[in-house]
Amino acid sequence: MPRRLALTLIDIRVSFGATVALDGVSLDVRSGEIVGLLGPNGSGKSTALAVAAGILDPLSGTVAAGGIRRDTQPAEYAKKIGLVPQEPALYDELSAEANLTFFGRLYGLSGYELNCRVATALDRVRMMDRALDRVGTLSGGMKQRINLACALIHDPPLLLLDEPTAALDPKSRDLLFADLHRLREAGHAVLLTTHHLDEAEYGCDRIAVLEKGRIVAEGKPSDLVRHAPTDRPILYGQLRENVAHFFVKGLRKRLEAGVELEITGRRLRLSAESQDQLGRALGLILSDGIHLETFHTPPGRLDKLMRPSAVPVAQGEPCDAS
Amino acid sequence: MRRQLNMILTLAGKDWRLFLADKRAALLGFAVPIVLASAFGIIFDKPEGGDNGVRLPLLVVVEDGGPFTAGAASELVASRRLDAQIVTRGEATQRLANRRPGVVVVFPVGFEALATWKPGGAGPRPTVRVLYDPLCRSEAQWAEGIVSEVVMKKLANEKLSPLLADRTWTMPFAVESVEAAEGRAGFNSYSHSFSGMTLQYLLFWGMESGLSLLRDRQRSVWLRMRSAPVPFWCVLIGKSLSTASIAFLQVLATFTFGYFVFGVCIGGSWIGFLLLALGVSVLAAATGLLVAAIGGTEARARSLSILAILGVSMLGGLWLPSFVLPGWARDLSVTLPTTWAMRGFDGVTWQGRNFWDSLVSISVVAGFAALILSLAVARLVFSEARRRRGYA
Repeated sequence: MPRRLALTLIDIRVSFGATVALDGVSLDVRSGEIVGLLGPNGSGKSTALAVAAGILDPLSGTVAAGGIRRDTQPAEYAKKIGLVPQEPALYDELSAEANLTFFGRLYGLSGYELNCRVATALDRVRMMDRALDRVGTLSGGMKQRINLACALIHDPPLLLLDEPTAALDPKSRDLLFADLHRLREAGHAVLLTTHHLDEAEYGCDRIAVLEKGRIVAEGKPSDLVRHAPTDRPILYGQLRENVAHFFVKGLRKRLEAGVELEITGRRLRLSAESQDQLGRALGLILSDGIHLETFHTPPGRLDKLMRPSAVPVAQGEPCDAS
Repeated sequence: MRRQLNMILTLAGKDWRLFLADKRAALLGFAVPIVLASAFGIIFDKPEGGDNGVRLPLLVVVEDGGPFTAGAASELVASRRLDAQIVTRGEATQRLANRRPGVVVVFPVGFEALATWKPGGAGPRPTVRVLYDPLCRSEAQWAEGIVSEVVMKKLANEKLSPLLADRTWTMPFAVESVEAAEGRAGFNSYSHSFSGMTLQYLLFWGMESGLSLLRDRQRSVWLRMRSAPVPFWCVLIGKSLSTASIAFLQVLATFTFGYFVFGVCIGGSWIGFLLLALGVSVLAAATGLLVAAIGGTEARARSLSILAILGVSMLGGLWLPSFVLPGWARDLSVTLPTTWAMRGFDGVTWQGRNFWDSLVSISVVAGFAALILSLAVARLVFSEARRRRGYA
């Protein structure tokens, strides 16, 4: 049975002054699927998400959710989407329930219906028992779940998540993905951005790889891995604590050519041309006092797709719009 | 329209919840203007029936040993308007250097020649020297006036007494000082301080509200709000409504305290007072939006706002009555909303003016609030449109 189109981006162009952020990006997201927007920092994935969320106007192109165009019916369009920003978009001073009630009212909900929606959203993210706690007292993982619940309060068919696992530990990340998979089963469409390939590979049904504002590869993770041209050793790690941005910049300059280092929140991705080079880079990072709680090398090889000019765009599973 | 009204009330309600979430901070929000106003009122209060409690501290140096000079110096020490003390030149110089006190009157050698002065007489005139610290220019003028009066009285007494036989010479006229409160409510120094400090605090409250909007715009919660079906103008009006309503409550709380504790009363129109309170509350909200519209970093907006608020507070007569300001500053002050708000509050409190007399002040304050609100909203809408197009 053909699935409904939850989001359509057609030939989206965005530029910030002379910098082209999105250059003709087209993407469909259908109900009941999780699509990952993958790419290194500055590739345009957050920009694409901002356009889809209705908070950034494209220079040209068409954006529609469930057949409703963003430019002609912005209020109706907004009701079709639920945004989960990277940092928890919550008021720490208010309780989880008060946050949900506030955002629910912004979507025109009130009375009994609002109360039911609040309860349902809290139940979906398994936070009913902490409903009356102030958000400021919750852990990072719990905040992210309340963050997700706020996006679900008006029961939107499409969820947009910007780097949802950036600041989470592995257990909280697994719980979040479990929530997302349940939402997928319930028919919601999910578009998320990440540059953690293991997440994209095992958490998403479909992946679009962005490079310099263009989609350079798109399809099922397994297909993309099969068509990828080269192997490139990669390591994922969980930092013990956050690292200052300027420190990471300084560290990057001292790494050998061909080594790539990305740190988002407490998550680290390190890739290199060879295993030896990866080992040397890891040694340099550890000797600089960056402590890793855990690290692993993924079995998949999607990382090679994030190299420039990696593969031609692979077609996803054809679906009919309805 | 009803849906948008609900949205505005929801947004304002959220701000109220955030305000009340930190109960101690909320309590301080009401206590600080009360404490400030009380402190200013106590400092500038003049007890009724006394000698106004203000005596000019003064040192007197007598370098001429004649009886006329000694008599003049004694009369200065005896004056009710002075807290004078006769000291040596050395001690006076030392104490003046420490501004304890800031004014010294010196009767130099040769001053005694005044004892033989005759009307129409020629020759050099004796001199009284008034030495003062640069920060005490006004006190020096005050001392100069009192010294002139005392010496002239003594001179007149000595020159005219022979003509009056046994009678004592007195001033041929009397001076009566009457407090000009237009015979209505009567002046209460607390009225001025409660009006001034409340106004100043409201402007700072507006600034804080604006800074919170600025902070919100840097936070993820702003992204969520902007992705919701909420028009930007609803967000701005919601913010203004919460700021103004909290400010209005602060005005009422401060004046209620002033009434019960210091006898600050609304001697004039109650409607005028309430409209004025509403006007300055909206002015505080408009100030907040203007602060947010300045944009940039929070630290930059805060510094600029503090500078502007302190400037309009001082020039508007919120600290001290504006008549103590130089002429150019008094001229400039009529272009400030704070001046008109103070005139209005003075009018409806201790001057006891009726509604129609207060209407000009109310209208000018409302006009300023509308103007600032319009400018701020236009600027914020413009900057939001730029953000949506990708300009930070």
